[in-house]
Amino acid sequence: MERTAGFLFAGIVGGIASGLFGIGGGIVLIPIFGLLLGFDQHRAQGTSLVALIPPTGLLAVLAYAKAGYVHWLTGALLIPGLFLGGILGAKIARRIEPRRMRQAFAALLFLLGAWQVFGNWNHG
Amino acid sequence: MAIVVLLIGLCAGILVGLLGIGGGVVLVPALVHLLHLDQHAAQGTSLFVLLPPIGLGALLEYRKKGAVDFHAGIYCAAGMLLGGYLGGRIAVPMSSFLLTQFFGVFLMLSALLLWSKASKQATPPQASSAEGGA
Repeated sequence: MERTAGFLFAGIVGGIASGLFGIGGGIVLIPIFGLLLGFDQHRAQGTSLVALIPPTGLLAVLAYAKAGYVHWLTGALLIPGLFLGGILGAKIARRIEPRRMRQAFAALLFLLGAWQVFGNWNHG
Repeated sequence: MAIVVLLIGLCAGILVGLLGIGGGVVLVPALVHLLHLDQHAAQGTSLFVLLPPIGLGALLEYRKKGAVDFHAGIYCAAGMLLGGYLGGRIAVPMSSFLLTQFFGVFLMLSALLLWSKASKQATPPQASSAEGGA
């Protein structure tokens, strides 16, 4: 019961980040599974993928679409690559040890975060 | 143009499978910097892309290894539907610049948190992963 409440709570936190930042939310779910619920990295990642299967962002998309913030064609073109790339990436992940994977993930996130913050300053 | 978009999708997809994420975290910066969408448009488009089950192929690969907790995932999804709505309502009225800054800081903080966890795990032999089973 307590764990179930924990999962729901993780979902709400992940969902807020998802709607706020336009992301899937896995990036928030994985640390919560790993740090608070004691999952190992592969299980945290696999379980995060389950949470991302249903269209959980539907209400968020409607909020953005109402304000005219959705580029439908660009979006539609991104979908096939994401699906095929996903299978390829998962095959690679099965061969990598968890700690190394978590570090690679952290390094990538940090670079993307810095790119967002400082890249915007240059463009004005 | 269309080819660039397809390639961005493929690259982001590899990260979906490799890291178990939705891919939005990579899509949003790519849409902003490579396709020059503004922050709100990038986020709205990313959310739209994530509606179909793009991670399904990746999920099946993880299942072969037994690294999936369906109970946790399903409850989490229920919470995310509600949270996503709240987050969208907060983001839409914000300025694009402020939103970009928030997103960047959010990514860097998540990175530091994950890195510290990975380093802690290096010294004691993985005691924390024992409870992971479903």
